[in-house]
Amino acid sequence: MSEHESETNPTSSGLVGRAVALDEPGQDPSRDPLEPAVAYEPRSGVVGKVERSAAWRSMFRHPKLDTPRGRALQGFSNFFLHVYPVKVPARVLRLRYSFRLGFISTMLFGILTATGIYLMFFYTPAVGSAYAGMQTIRTGVGFGQLVRNVHRWSAHLMVLVVFLHMVRVFYAGAYKKPREFNWVIGVVLLLVTLGLSFTGYLLPWDQLSYWAVTVGTNLVHYVPVLGSTLQNLLIGGDQIGQPTLLRFYALHVAVLPLTLVLVLMVHIWRVRKDGFAVERSAVGASGAFAEEATEVANPAVPATAPAELYGGRTRVLGVVDRESVTAEERSVDDTVFSWPHLIVRHVVVALATATVVLALGVMFAAPLRGLANPNLTPEPAKAPWYFAGLQELLSHFDPLVAGILVPMGAVLTLVLLPYIDRNPSTIARHRKVAIVVFSGLLLIAVVLTVIGTFFRGPGWEFIAPWTHSYIEL
Amino acid sequence: MASTRREFLRNTWKVGGAALVAAATWTIFEALRPLASATSGAKIRLGNPANYQPGTATYVPEGRLFVANTGTTLLAISQKCPHLGCRVPFCDSSGRFECPCHGSIFDIGGEWIEGPSPVGMTQFPLSVEGDALVVDTAHTITGPPRGANQYLTPATGPACKPSGA
Repeated sequence: MSEHESETNPTSSGLVGRAVALDEPGQDPSRDPLEPAVAYEPRSGVVGKVERSAAWRSMFRHPKLDTPRGRALQGFSNFFLHVYPVKVPARVLRLRYSFRLGFISTMLFGILTATGIYLMFFYTPAVGSAYAGMQTIRTGVGFGQLVRNVHRWSAHLMVLVVFLHMVRVFYAGAYKKPREFNWVIGVVLLLVTLGLSFTGYLLPWDQLSYWAVTVGTNLVHYVPVLGSTLQNLLIGGDQIGQPTLLRFYALHVAVLPLTLVLVLMVHIWRVRKDGFAVERSAVGASGAFAEEATEVANPAVPATAPAELYGGRTRVLGVVDRESVTAEERSVDDTVFSWPHLIVRHVVVALATATVVLALGVMFAAPLRGLANPNLTPEPAKAPWYFAGLQELLSHFDPLVAGILVPMGAVLTLVLLPYIDRNPSTIARHRKVAIVVFSGLLLIAVVLTVIGTFFRGPGWEFIAPWTHSYIEL
Repeated sequence: MASTRREFLRNTWKVGGAALVAAATWTIFEALRPLASATSGAKIRLGNPANYQPGTATYVPEGRLFVANTGTTLLAISQKCPHLGCRVPFCDSSGRFECPCHGSIFDIGGEWIEGPSPVGMTQFPLSVEGDALVVDTAHTITGPPRGANQYLTPATGPACKPSGA
C-alpha cells in the first residue's frame, strides 16, 4: 500500500496514515498536522536525509516526532517498544510499586542467555569431556572464567528474584481478579526457572554437581507407583551418567529456555491486557480493584435494547468487551508516557542488574570441585540451596511426605491460590487470614532453607556456620 | 440417536486429536526410556565365597556394590542409599554402613538401624556357579523393612561418621 493510499484509506489507522503523510510535499515540516500547536524540529543534515529516505522508512514507519503523538507512534510501530503500553499510570514509575522484580528477572534471563551461548561454544555434554571443557573455559578461553561466573551468579539471582517477585505480588494482592491466571502463569515461570537452574547444575560434571543432582533426582523416586519409571526417564538410567548429562543439557539449552520464552510472552502480554494493579487507597471502602468498583457503579447496558429507540432498525457496529468499557471509564489524568519515563527507568535498572552480576563475577569465582566420582560421596552432599529446605525436611519426615506431598502440595496451593482466596480486597487489614497463613508458610520455607544451607555439615549433623562453612552455591 | 454429519465430523476430530496426543505421548516415552546399555544388568563373577571373611563388607567397584559376610550369610548390597541415592560406605571400625548425606545407618546386612531411610539397603541376587560366587545386577531386591534386625549386632567400634559440631 502506498503512503497516499494509507492516508486516504478509511479502514487504516488514522494515526499511522496521517503520520506517514507528514513527509508529503507541501506539508510544513515543522508541524504535525494533527498537533499543529506543537512545534518540533526535524533533523537536518545527513542524519535527517537518511531518516527521510525510502529505505529507512521501510524499516521505521513513523517519523521521529518529539511530540506526544510521535511518542505514541514510536510505541505502536516498534517491535520492542510495543511491549510497553504507550502510557502508564504515574504510580508505576515508583520503585516500590513493584521493585522492578519482574523486569530484573527478565534481564537476568537475558544475561543468562547471552553468557550461556558463549559457554556453549566451549562445552561438550559428554562425561569424558565435560569437566575438561569447564577447565578450558576457566583457563584457556578469553573471559571464560568471568562469563562462567556471571552465568552462575545470574542463575542463582534469577531463582531468588523470581521468588521475591512472587512474594511481592502476593502481598500486593495483585493475583486477584482479573489477574488470577497470570499468577498461575507466574508459578509456571518459577518452576521453569528452578528447572533451568537445576539442569544447569549438573553440566560442570564435578563432585558438587554430580551429588547435588543425585540427591535432587532421587526425590522423584518417591512418587507413588510411577516413581522409578519417572526417575529413569529423567536421568536415562538407574544412575547419573552420560544419558543424564545429555538430557539435562538438552533441557537446559533448548527445551526449558524455549518454554520460558513462550510462557514469559504470555505473562507479559497478560500484564498489558489485565492492566496495572490499581492503588488500594483509590479504590474505595471495599478495597476491590477499580474495574470491579466501576462495574458496580456502571452496570453494563442490557444486551437487548428496545428496537424502537433506533427507528425499528438496529445494526451491530461492534462488540465491546465490558472490561474494556469500564477500563475506558477510568481516569487517565495520572498517566505518563512509557517513553521516556518508564523505559529510562528500566534502562537504569537493567544497567544496575548487569553491574551487580558483573561485580559478583569479578569478586567471586563459580565453584568447580574435583571430577565427578560416583564412588565417593562428598561430605556433606547438599542439593542446590533452593532445594536445601526440602533436603532439611527430608531428614525429619518420611520421604513420601517431605519429598512429594509437601512440595506438590505447595505448588498446587500456589496455583490454586487466586481461586481459593475469593476475598476481592487488596488491603492488608482485610486479608489477615491469607497474609498470616502465607507469611507462616514462607517463614517455615525460609528457616528450613537457612538451616539446610548454613547449619548442616557432614553426616547432616547440626553445625554452627561460624565454625565451618559448608555452603555450596 | 442419530447424529448429524457435522456432529460426526466434530467427534471424529476429537477422537483423532486424542489418538494423536496418546501416540505422541507414547512415542516420547519410548524415545526417552533408558536404553538397556544405560542400566546395570551384567552378571559379575565375584570369585570364591571363602574370600569374604565374616564381619567384612568388600567393595566391588564394577557392580557398585558390597559383598557382605554377616557371619551366617553372604549378601550383595547396593552402594546406593535407599533414602536419596548417596553412596553409602562401609565403616570398618563400627562394622556398619553409614550414609554421609543424611546420617542413615545400616547394619552389615544392610538393615536399617537409624536415620531417615525408609527401608534397608537394596540387594542383588547371589548364586554360586561352579566354585564362584555370581551376582546378577539386572535384578534388585528391595531392602528389608525397618525393624527386620536379622543381622543386627552391637557396633564393633566407633562410628566413622564425623560428629559434626
